[in-house]
Amino acid sequence: MGRVAAAGATREGVEGVDTREVGRRASFVRADGVPKVTGQARYAADLRLPGMLEARFLYGGTPHGRIASLDVSAARQVPGVLAVITQADLPPNRYGMCVKDRTLFADDVVRYEGEIVAAVAATSREAAEAGLAAIRLEVEPLPAVLDPEEALAEGAPLVHESWSEDASAYEGLVRNGNDCGYVTVVKGDVEAGFADADLVVEGRFVSDMAHAVPIEPHAVVADWQGDRVTIWSSTQVPFIARAGVAETLGIPEGNVRIVVPHLGGGFGGKCDFHFEAHVAALARAARRPVRLVFTRHEEFVVPDKVRHPMVMTFRTGVRRDGVMTASRARVILDTGAYASDSSMLTEVATMMVAGPYRTPNLLVEGHTVYSNKTPCGSVRAPTGPEGCWGLESHIDEVAAAVGMDPVEFRLLNLADEGDTGPTGQVYRAIGAKECLRQAADLIGYGDGDGEGVGVAVGWWFSMPSATGAHVKLNPDGSAVVVTGAQENGSGAVMALALLVGEELGIDPAGVSFVHQDTDAGPWDGGSAGSQTTFNVGRAVTAAASGIRARVLARAAEMLEASVDDLELVEGEVRVKGAPERRVTVAAVAQAAFDEGEQLIASDSPPVPPMPDNVGGSACVGRAVFPAFAAPAFFAQAARVRVDGQTGVVRVTDVAAAHDFGRVLNPVGARGQVEGGIAMGVGLALSEGTVFGEGDRAGRQSNADLLDYKLVTAADAPTISVSFVERPVAEDEGGPRGSKGVGEPPCVPTAGAVANAVAAATGVRLRRIPMTPSRVWAAMDGSRGEAGG
Amino acid sequence: MRHSVTLSVNGIDHPLELEPDRSLLRALRDDIGLTGTKEGCDDSECGACMVLVGGRPVNSCSYLALQAAGRPVTTVEGLAGPNGDLHPLQRAFLAEGGVQCGFCTPGMLMSAAALLEANPSPTEHEVRQALAGNLCRCTGYTGIVSAILSVAGADPDAR
Repeated sequence: MGRVAAAGATREGVEGVDTREVGRRASFVRADGVPKVTGQARYAADLRLPGMLEARFLYGGTPHGRIASLDVSAARQVPGVLAVITQADLPPNRYGMCVKDRTLFADDVVRYEGEIVAAVAATSREAAEAGLAAIRLEVEPLPAVLDPEEALAEGAPLVHESWSEDASAYEGLVRNGNDCGYVTVVKGDVEAGFADADLVVEGRFVSDMAHAVPIEPHAVVADWQGDRVTIWSSTQVPFIARAGVAETLGIPEGNVRIVVPHLGGGFGGKCDFHFEAHVAALARAARRPVRLVFTRHEEFVVPDKVRHPMVMTFRTGVRRDGVMTASRARVILDTGAYASDSSMLTEVATMMVAGPYRTPNLLVEGHTVYSNKTPCGSVRAPTGPEGCWGLESHIDEVAAAVGMDPVEFRLLNLADEGDTGPTGQVYRAIGAKECLRQAADLIGYGDGDGEGVGVAVGWWFSMPSATGAHVKLNPDGSAVVVTGAQENGSGAVMALALLVGEELGIDPAGVSFVHQDTDAGPWDGGSAGSQTTFNVGRAVTAAASGIRARVLARAAEMLEASVDDLELVEGEVRVKGAPERRVTVAAVAQAAFDEGEQLIASDSPPVPPMPDNVGGSACVGRAVFPAFAAPAFFAQAARVRVDGQTGVVRVTDVAAAHDFGRVLNPVGARGQVEGGIAMGVGLALSEGTVFGEGDRAGRQSNADLLDYKLVTAADAPTISVSFVERPVAEDEGGPRGSKGVGEPPCVPTAGAVANAVAAATGVRLRRIPMTPSRVWAAMDGSRGEAGG
Repeated sequence: MRHSVTLSVNGIDHPLELEPDRSLLRALRDDIGLTGTKEGCDDSECGACMVLVGGRPVNSCSYLALQAAGRPVTTVEGLAGPNGDLHPLQRAFLAEGGVQCGFCTPGMLMSAAALLEANPSPTEHEVRQALAGNLCRCTGYTGIVSAILSVAGADPDAR
């Protein structure tokens, strides 16, 4: 192909690819790939503007306290310091996705160690640090709330002393004391279900706080031009960040432009609105551009997007034949100092602990509890890995209680087409059972080689949302997509080129993007909720199809043929059955341009509806997730080796089978599964925050990558992947019947690993991560407590 | 007190005046303007800042710039050929799905280049051990490992 490839993309790896077969494409080189392998790709921390200052924050440093005094006057005299700001310099505007419970800087009270109290901008990082050191801050300690169950007790100290009735960010939020989001799932009659049961099995499971840990730390650059500010940010959600800046600084949203250069991963840790307004306020005060780059320690302690510590209890009724008749569960999310988006995530958590089973009688309660810890919120499949691990550990115990094999037991109880979900939705064609069969096959389940093998199943939602896109076909036959969508690294935006290329009959390498800029593309929900392909894919397809129709109409004239007889392939319009009658797409576009017609189109297709959830009307607090739209189903199986002397668990293999509906980009989907599994292994075995004791209670003790261990290449498992394609109806799912892909892969891994550890050792751990010391203790009851 | 030093980076000499505590990473990014090398932890734990000094991989965040005087430094910007031809590892990372967000990629490529220089035909185990100091949060390492193995399996003369 003679065309200049988008953003310099190479042709390597795409030779022999049939551009007509999006769903079967073996290989696709992403347009942002070459800049990323050559070091040309710029991330927020790489940007530098003339006169740019460096920002640093001062933190409260204590889990709970009242600010007795805060004096920044000396800091303002430090050489090189051009601005120092606190909440006193800003409007008293409160923000928060679920509860408007915080201000940009601490307002009188410090509620966690990483609470921002002041910010300094200076000519160098060193000068900014000297400015911080010159700030005089006195905090009088208050009783700290550190245990989520104690936080729910009568008379517990309140993290937020006074509620404002209008502080709820949306209707339907149920609050009480430290509980900032009470949610239920009610299905059938749970007491009648227990009456039908032959056995009742109970279990309690606890997960530790864990972190998103993108390799790129947060970075923000802000620059004012008149009363407009441009902010380059490492956000996953530029439009939500824009709204946050406007809300907290009290300026019109239209005066704020958020641009994301390349984003170095997010995994939820960069969702929501974070530090854009702090940096913008500093830049305005200093009358200079200002850059903030977080340290790794700050990355762990400060943002309000870390995985919730969770406490789960289960009580399940089962007949001797293995049919589950009733389940009662309770899940507590410790949201830390602020509600963030946790209240709506408790809605998700209750669905996770209900699980993809057909159990007819359910009562699930969820609590969202404030404490004096780093605030928690969306991290890749929020509450998913923890909820699935708890439920699937419990399910293995229920199966054992009736003497059934764990796979056989699940196949008996898993939901299928026509079954009713926890809140009343009726499932269409779903691949839950087939996923389990395939995962079991892939791992060699039951081959009996003496190693521990475990399985876990789960489900996750797609997230229908408003979307839109502009597409233009250039006279040279290349195309440009203008979208508000955010590329977090998954390739979701880059792979939109496949859909546009197919619609326009051109090579996807000829499609380039203007994206992640709030002044350019239509509103977008960002790289959150696995929504990019699901929503933006529909928008670019719709817009491109408008251009396609015009290309075909013009080509029909040029070829003197009927539109119905034409096909658009390999950059050409051809008459079917007469391949010598052809014209290139570029020639058609050029002909249009010569006559003054630009081939541009925009579309904003309707949002797929939420499933019916008639039965869910009895549920409380289900404001955002009354049901799971276009749910993905999946199963994973893990094989482990456990060293009885040290308690070290080694995950050697993971087999994954996922029903994502139609898979549009197999390379991208596989990458999501593999990355999700590595993350899930970390959550199972090593990733957990350790809190200090005594004077350091409520403060993270392992807020660095030496002590908070991610999975490395040396300990990542061998992964096999299978896709079980159960397409969603066109008007209920993503393009071509697809479902969300990004989050589900990390959901079932920890559960599969835990069940494998139990199979290998005969011991059930009730707390994750399953660190060597916990495993070692569990393997010998006399060695100590096995967990929560 | 600043010291005069010349750093040779990707074959080009850069005369600089540096404080003795200046890290090689900051010299590369802030003084020379080569931002392809990333800072992920400033603690030698993530490997995003990996560069070659005298052909050996080092975490440039924890390596003093003055130590690199007289030793050739290679960064990710120096991997491609003079006319822009991608290095086989760069091509393989793209072809095998070894690149997602790209933030770990420069460091991964440098560790991989150092490995293949020292051991042209590594086993998968050796590849994984060689990458143990480079964290990736996106890929699960599968695409990265297969990319390196695909280059290792290729004709050495083509490398």
